[in-house]
Amino acid sequence: MAVNANTQTFTILAQDPAIETSPGQPLFARVSVPLEHLADGPVGYRVKVVDFDAAANRLYLPHAYNQTPGEAAIDPFDPADARVLGQPGFHCQQVYAVIMRLLARFELALGRRVAWGFDGHQLHVVPHAFVEANAFYSREDRALLFGYFQDGEDWVFTCLSHDIVAHETTHALLDGLRAGFMQASGPDQAGFHEGFADVIALLSVFSLSEVVEFALTCYRGVNISHQGDARLIDGASLQIDALADTLLFGLGEQFGQATSGLRANPLRRSVQKRPSTDYLDSAEYDDAHNRGEIFAAAMLRSMLELWVARCNSLGTFGDNLYSLDAVIAEGAKAADQLLTIAIRALDYSPPLDLEFGHYLAALLTVDSEVAPDDSRYSYRRIIRDTFASYGIQVPAGLTDADGCWLTFADNDKVRYQNSHFDSMLRDAEEVFRFLWENRDVLQIDERAYTEVVSVRPSLRIGPDGFVLRETVCEFTSRVNLFGAEFTSVFKEPRPEWLKPTTPVTVYGAGTLIFDQYGRIKYCIQRPLTDARWQVRRLEWLYGPNSEAAEPGSAADLTRIHRARAMQAPSTAQELQP
Amino acid sequence: MSPIRLHLFAYQVGFGDCFLLRFVYPDDSTRHVLIDFGTVGMPDGVDKAKQMLRIANDIKDKCAGKLDVLVATHRHADHISGFDPLKKGNGPGSIIRALNPDVVLQPWTEQPDLAEDATAPLAAAHVQALAGMNEVARQLKARMDSKPKGLDAALERRLGFLGENNISNKGAVNNLIAMGSRPGARAVYAHFGSDDPLAEVLPGIRTRVLGPPTVEQSAEVRRERRTDPEYWLRAPLLFAPQGTATASASPFPDAPCARGSKLPQNARWIAGRVRRARGDQWLSIVTALDKAMNNTSLILLFEAGGKKLLFPGDAQIENWRYALNQPEIAALLTSVDLYKVGHHGSLNATPKSLWKGFSNKDESKRPGRLTSVLSTLPEQYGDKNAGDGTEVPRVPLLNALDKDSDLHDTHRLPPGVLYDEVVLELQETP
Repeated sequence: MAVNANTQTFTILAQDPAIETSPGQPLFARVSVPLEHLADGPVGYRVKVVDFDAAANRLYLPHAYNQTPGEAAIDPFDPADARVLGQPGFHCQQVYAVIMRLLARFELALGRRVAWGFDGHQLHVVPHAFVEANAFYSREDRALLFGYFQDGEDWVFTCLSHDIVAHETTHALLDGLRAGFMQASGPDQAGFHEGFADVIALLSVFSLSEVVEFALTCYRGVNISHQGDARLIDGASLQIDALADTLLFGLGEQFGQATSGLRANPLRRSVQKRPSTDYLDSAEYDDAHNRGEIFAAAMLRSMLELWVARCNSLGTFGDNLYSLDAVIAEGAKAADQLLTIAIRALDYSPPLDLEFGHYLAALLTVDSEVAPDDSRYSYRRIIRDTFASYGIQVPAGLTDADGCWLTFADNDKVRYQNSHFDSMLRDAEEVFRFLWENRDVLQIDERAYTEVVSVRPSLRIGPDGFVLRETVCEFTSRVNLFGAEFTSVFKEPRPEWLKPTTPVTVYGAGTLIFDQYGRIKYCIQRPLTDARWQVRRLEWLYGPNSEAAEPGSAADLTRIHRARAMQAPSTAQELQP
Repeated sequence: MSPIRLHLFAYQVGFGDCFLLRFVYPDDSTRHVLIDFGTVGMPDGVDKAKQMLRIANDIKDKCAGKLDVLVATHRHADHISGFDPLKKGNGPGSIIRALNPDVVLQPWTEQPDLAEDATAPLAAAHVQALAGMNEVARQLKARMDSKPKGLDAALERRLGFLGENNISNKGAVNNLIAMGSRPGARAVYAHFGSDDPLAEVLPGIRTRVLGPPTVEQSAEVRRERRTDPEYWLRAPLLFAPQGTATASASPFPDAPCARGSKLPQNARWIAGRVRRARGDQWLSIVTALDKAMNNTSLILLFEAGGKKLLFPGDAQIENWRYALNQPEIAALLTSVDLYKVGHHGSLNATPKSLWKGFSNKDESKRPGRLTSVLSTLPEQYGDKNAGDGTEVPRVPLLNALDKDSDLHDTHRLPPGVLYDEVVLELQETP
């Protein structure tokens, strides 16, 4: 081992216990996570695993990790076989390693530390919290709670599913990056939380080459042939539909089998939703889970198209045979780039009231900055066309011909002289002063209460190899209105269902991207006076087809809270993970 | 021939519904309709079993041994438990059965064998889901009976109530089926827009079925995710260990562990949160299924001699929405004369547009003012102190009912009084 290694490796279940390389032999993988000296739990600098089971009313005692002379933790479950699945200590290692790996991936994409969505540094993780087929992120509890249940004779542990752990972890990470996305808003925002979590969970597997190889070959009965040292796979098995059917695009295999009684029936396989522009307008897709699947389908189908495009550019070994290793490598590259821009696009999204089209604009903008030359694989064209086939378009008027955010055009009107460059990089007070002084040009409404939510650095390597430093700043504004004031504020007729005496809170928000000189590069905004959006949001939350509670009432807050946190099956978010 | 008068007997069933309607005709003949007979909690000092038998016998006396119509609005215990003949056959359901109703009217979701109906897959899935919900409730009740740790008293009470109300009541359900299949009797399973199911047995009265909508009908107005039948089918197995294992069995019986009462310092805070989160999850699940069951309620509108009588069972907004979206139905409902307050006076069962539309409500006690009938028992359901508007009956609604209508409320009946009798002249007042 190299003296200066900064990672340590752990064995995890690559998918879940239902995925076996041979009968009784689950598919394991070894993953690298940041090096740290673990306390018992394991408890590290960002994750605190506590194996308390409320149903059995007991705490399973943690495994103590020993260290190598190089200070890496020694994996007690290596080499692993099926027996480790019966040890709670392995379950603890599984959640720890999957979470830390994903956290590291987010930090790699963003070039900075990423916080959870609550005050505090360590995320509690409870791998056997209770008997229930559910798992969720709870901001209030600073925790990921995983349930388990019995399927006939077998126990099903949600914490052993890579996809479910990664999905819930993504909720916690997304909450840390965009806390506003947990607020009640329009239909897309809740759906985005779900769809994004699915996408990240699935894309993060492609860098595990042994898993991709298994999914492409043994698991679906596709043979490997050999020419010299080259291992070859039939091109027919690399078509889009064939790949969409693989393990790689299904989420939660064991859970799906247990709950449906069908083998090889993952919980979700969004990619199989055929492109259609009708989904978004149909009532069935107003629900967060269903709507999230449209977003996930657009992302994952983009991944498939990119992978296939990359494979098509590979040479063949005659008779439509492709190098298996090259195919796996191309999948890893495609997923890696998509994962990077998917994460970085969050920085380029508005702080709240997200619609899928905004995220698409952010995605295209980020990609054009990372890779200005799109000619080789036409990533951006593929992504844009695929999203369009699901009815997702970038917002008109805010984007350029390539679908990227318009760059900020009014720098000559901005007063920079009273703010200090160095403070602007990190100090919310300094940024707020800047905002307030420039409220006219930045369309920040004086009547509203505005605050800076975050100021974060974003570092990346530019196309010329130089390090680029940008600063990402989020601000939100809110104002309390009565229905009667609607027309005077929004210059639109008051919706019939909104009574003059009804109090409502409306929000405005924006993300400012400052370039390396501290000048505004993008101002990605949801102005408070955007009448079209405000009507849509209010109607969604309080209109005739919404639940009947009065806006702002205690019952309304409870409903919104429950819809987000409790994930009741008939209201919102997730009852299944 | 049209009836000239209605005698409505609102029985003291505590938290539940039991209404006997007697329509009186000009020749002094009568027709009797029993709408629901169930309870999940009696006022203090009232013995549940004895009270239910007393009521059954009173119904028998009132209708002189013959019911024309029996309505079971939905399968919640607080609406049908009285139809259970009990194992020994000495329950109130045996007395009711002997009243030989000519029509037994229930929502379409109760139709036997519908769960296997391949030609109506959506309906079948919906019915299967309802069965799954009963099973979830049964398991929750078993959980609550084992006194789980870490739940606060209010949550524990609420969970216990919801669990009990949602478990299937096979005795009552089978008795309803048996009554409907008696030779000469007719079982009707109705939905929004069904033909008048009672035309033959209630002369001069038009009975409109305004709910529940069918799966297809409700899909037109529903923006929520369809109640996922798969979820509720698999839900039972998700809730608790199966087979011989007890509720507190561990999947790792041999793993070294600390007992929940002796947790090390570093686990205490999160353990408390996990326990509470577990209770909240149960509440969320059981509230969702309680609502789904309420939304299978029949909503009936009787039009008799120029008066309109509205009996919506426990229908909540999702059930109401389809009917209220039809302008002609909304218009029809404005002139309701007697309103059985939905779902014991809860927040979500009297849609605002319905209440606002009632043209007969009036602060002054004039003749012809709206009559409202409420059967409820406070402090059974929801929590007034939680501030979330879930208490039943809901205080602002109760105040509005009191102010703008002649309110008959079973929970204000003096101790020992068996029913509140409401008399309504059905002829148009000149």
